Parts: sequence; structure tokens; C-alpha cells
Amino acid sequence: MKTKQNSDPSTQAAASGRGPSLGMGSQGKETPLGVALSGAERRRRETKWVHRALPAGTHWEGVWVFGDYRNYFQNRVTLQLIAKGNQLARKLGADMTVLVLGSQIHQYAMEYTAHGADVVMVVDHPSLKNYQVETYVRVVSQLVQNFKPEIFLAGATAFGREFFPRLAKRLNTGLSADCVALEIDRSKRLLIQTTPAFGGELLADIITPEHRPQMATVHPGVFVERIHDREATARILYPEVDIEAEERVQLIRSRPEQSRKGGLEEADVVIVGGKGLGSKENFQMLFELARLLGGEVGATRPVILSGWTEESRLLGQTGKNVKPKLLITAGTSGAVQYTTGIHGAETIIAINRDPHAPIFKMADLGLVGDAKTVLSLLLEKLRKRL
Amino acid sequence: MNIVVCIKQVPDTPNIRIDRERMTIIRDGVESIINPLDRIALEAALDLKQKEGGKISVLTMGPSQSEEALREALAAGADEAILLTDPGFAGADTLATSKVIASAISRMDPFPDLILCGKQTIDSDTGHVGPQLAEELNLPQVCGVTEIHVEMNALVVKQLSDGFQNTYRVSFPALLTVSQGLNVPRHIPLGDLEQAFLDGRVLRWGLKELDLRPEEVGFSGSATTVVRLYRPPQKRKGEVVSGSSQTLAEHLIAKLVSLSILDEDEAE
Repeated sequence: MKTKQNSDPSTQAAASGRGPSLGMGSQGKETPLGVALSGAERRRRETKWVHRALPAGTHWEGVWVFGDYRNYFQNRVTLQLIAKGNQLARKLGADMTVLVLGSQIHQYAMEYTAHGADVVMVVDHPSLKNYQVETYVRVVSQLVQNFKPEIFLAGATAFGREFFPRLAKRLNTGLSADCVALEIDRSKRLLIQTTPAFGGELLADIITPEHRPQMATVHPGVFVERIHDREATARILYPEVDIEAEERVQLIRSRPEQSRKGGLEEADVVIVGGKGLGSKENFQMLFELARLLGGEVGATRPVILSGWTEESRLLGQTGKNVKPKLLITAGTSGAVQYTTGIHGAETIIAINRDPHAPIFKMADLGLVGDAKTVLSLLLEKLRKRL
Repeated sequence: MNIVVCIKQVPDTPNIRIDRERMTIIRDGVESIINPLDRIALEAALDLKQKEGGKISVLTMGPSQSEEALREALAAGADEAILLTDPGFAGADTLATSKVIASAISRMDPFPDLILCGKQTIDSDTGHVGPQLAEELNLPQVCGVTEIHVEMNALVVKQLSDGFQNTYRVSFPALLTVSQGLNVPRHIPLGDLEQAFLDGRVLRWGLKELDLRPEEVGFSGSATTVVRLYRPPQKRKGEVVSGSSQTLAEHLIAKLVSLSILDEDEAE
């Protein structure tokens, strides 16, 4: 299936609100959204508009954010990126554009405007209703090649981390993953992308010196969204683009994942046992402790392999990530595969016999001693209060 | 069904040392393992082979040392192992890495029906190589699958993605990256490991065999550059206490009180 986006001007005017059209771009049509601009703001925007009307493909300029509106009220990463993208764009003296793909998505153009976009680029087509990597790569790669943004950001959601690598490859450019900070080197007009490695043990500053756009997925929650401003205005652009849906991957079913309330991932207290506890019997003690402290029990890979407890309690890279107020980790040495799962804990108390165990490096309180004995003493104390 | 499993050897240590000259991790003298999610990919391949027949090839790009990971995969039951190694491959980002691996896969005759990768690695953690390989080879992709079935000459896979459980039908040939929960990798008997290290066969392909130009791969074929590699500012207090179990328990209880997890009178 190969179709063009419908760009009937009458539908655009209805969708994007009041005001006369500012004119035609080389890539499509624009109309202003929202109420009148202040004088200075209008001049700034109109100046930019003239610039935008230049034939596409002269040079790479502007900051783009991929607008992921799914689960709008919970997933705020797009709004966080708009706020950050806006800052970056100001440093570069360029525009911040949100690109939004889907079917019947005009309300999101309004939302993104209210949250600080200068331009919202809308591709509205029934074939784009479901987020599909290959279809989206086809559409977005055309737009990037035509409009040439210098920076392109997406949230490091599951979709973002599946879609952006393929897009970067098609565009033959660099991509950094799950960034936790973004800065502009103004002298070189470069985006400095800070990404974690080894589950956050290390940070790397990455640049994309020559390829464009400079692409990054960004960890949700590291930037703060702007307040919803209904007075804000933006230009809405409906670019012309070929839309061809992918047929090799077909979505048969999509349903909300059953959310298991409570459990390890929601617990305020998590007690983790490692092989250093010595035996399955000693490990069992953690369950009573967890019950008395109102928490849950987690385990490391070696514990699962020894059959001391079930796989669903596994923490770390191949298991769960937890973010309790308190995590007690007992008899665990601190292998990276495990520690990637506990970085989110507010306070970590580690008990281990080996004073050089790496787990102590990431603990707020480290107790050098026999985990089983120390926890037994705590258990005795807790039992007494009943 | 002919399956290619892409694996990576990763350091098995939290004590990572940084080479500040080259902005890389020092891997010499560090114990290494197959990236845990790649082990799950291999297990999925073994499982599919058992049901559908065919051949499993394992591939890795890396220094000579990464041959160990391939031998371990042979011991687990892979039929063929290929090490993509060349001084020119060093310093590659995911763009350049996927170029090399794709070039190796496109050379396979017959072209594989299925390519499996782990969703991401524990070291660089990007998750880029899978989808970028799919792009380079022009294959359909699904990332982070938790179930794989073969039905009516197509794949039916499940994926947990951003709060949704998605089921897809994917035509062959295809690329999947696998997530935790798909399976539990088998234990490899020591005898099989020894056997694979004694007489397992590992093919070695470099720039010449892959007919690649030096500027397409490694550092020169990369779009990104690491300008700084560093430890994040320590946010943990890192107080370490030694003493008798009794003393330690007292410290522990005091901490629980200070966190308001225990009441003071309960701790008396």
C-alpha cells in the first residue's frame, strides 16, 4: 500500500485553529495555532519562518523531538524532551520541532504546542495508527532527509529503542542510547550526549562529529516538562510524504499488560539474598524478615540456579529492576548483572563477609560480617516486638 | 530452519577499569562471559532447532579472546562458530559493528531464516545492533520478544513493550531480539565445554574475507565518538562498618530507625 498524506488545506485550518495562513513552505503548508503572538515573539517566529521557506536541503539546522503520545497521561517523556529540546534549540538559535505520526492526532499537536514546541509537524494517516517500526522508519527518514534537522531526540521507551536504531542506520548517522544528560558545545555546534554503561557504573560523553542528524534516545524522567501553557503558539506543518505500510510484520493483537500491583517492583522494602547466605534454609529466613518489615524478597542469579527460590524473584539484567526506599542486600558480592537491577533503590544496606566485595561501593551502609548471623539478630529483635 | 545467533563477550565484573587514553574499558585479565541475553537467544535457537531441525551458526565480532564465547556456544549445541576479527574492526560504534556482522551474514549460503540477538548487552547497553542489522540486511524485526512460535511458515512472537503485550506475525527471513523471560538457558556440562575448547572449530573472518574497506568499519566507519568515560559522582554514602555480629546488628537496627522503618521503642 502506497499513499500520500492528504493535505487538503480546509482540514488543516479546522484542526489547527484560528488565524490566517502564513503561507506555503517548500515542504508543505503551515498555519498558526492559538492566539496572537507578542510583538517580539512574532518577529522571532516570522523571521524563522522566512528561513524555513528556503529550499530544503541547504544545511542541517533545528532540533526535532519524536512525539510519542501513547499513554499520554503517564508517559511524559515526550513533554520532557520538548522542554529540553527547546533549551537546546535556543542555544543554537534554531527551532524546536515535534514530529507526530498517527491517525487522528490533531489534539496532540495542540498539547505539544502548549508544552513548548515552535513547530509541530503532523503526519496523519490511517496506516500510521499503530506504532510500527519499519513503516515509521520509511516516513520519518524521508522527512529527515528533506528538512535536515541537526538534532533528533526520542524517549528511550521500548518503541524508541526499537525504532531509533533502525532509523539511524537508514540515515547512516550516529545514535546514543538512553541518555541521562544532553548539552550543547556551542563553538562546534555539537550535541554532547551522556549515556550510562555497565548499568550506570560508568558514564560516557558521546558526540557525533560529522554525521547528521545527531540522534539520541533519552531516559524518561531526567528532564522536567514545562507547565501546560494554553496561550502558547506554534506553527503546524503538514509535510508531503510517501506512506507505505510494512507488511512483513503484522500486529495480530495488542493488549495492556496485566499490571501486577504490589510485588517486587512496587515494594518499599526489598531484601535480597545471594549465595553468601550459605544455604536454602538461611535464604528462607529472608521471607520472615520481609514479612515483618512489610517488604519483598529478591535473589541473585546464582541463588536461582541453586534452586533456593523461584525465577520471578531474580533481580538485575535478566530479571527485575527495583526501586524501594530500602534495599538490604545480604551475601551478594555485587556482580554487575545483579547491581543493574538495584540502582533505583533510595538506600542500600549491604552485608557481606568480604570487606573488598564490590557491593560495598554502592551501599549507603556496609556491614562487614556474616549476613546470616546479623540478619538472625535482626529477626530476633523484630519477633520480640510482636 | 537455519538460525544465526549473534553473541557478545562481556566482562563479568563490577570492577571495571577505564583506559583513559582510548576511552574504552580495559578487558585484559578480566573474566568474561557470554552476554546473558545472548545466552537466552542461543537457547531459543537450540529450542527451535529441536522442533524444526536445521543448523545454528553463532557469530561474534571482537578480539581473539572472544573465541571463548563461541566455544562455549559450541558446547551448548551450536553447529558452527564464526569469529569476526580484524585489527580494523576496533573502536566500532553500533553503526560500524552492524555493518561487519551484516556483511558476514549476507555471505552465508543459504541465507539464514532467522537471526537472533539479545535485546541488549550488560556493557554498553545500547540495544542498537539488532535493529541496525535488520536494517542493513533489509529484514523485518521485532525487539524484546518473550515468546517465539512457528506457525504456517511464519513466526508468531510476543513482545512486552511500553505497557502492552503485542503479538506479531512475522514472515521469514526475520530478525528477533530476545528479552528475559523467554527461557532459562541450559547448564553446559563441564565435559562438553572441555571438548569444545579442545576440538571445536571456529572460523575467523576479517576485512579481507568480508571484502570490506577499512574506512567502512571500526573507528573510521563509526559516526559517534566517546570523548569522555568516567565514574558518575558517587551518590551513596559508602559508610562501611566492621565488628562483631552484635555490633553490626545494632548498626543495622539504628539505620532502620533513622529511615523510620522501625520505631525507636521497637528497637530498644
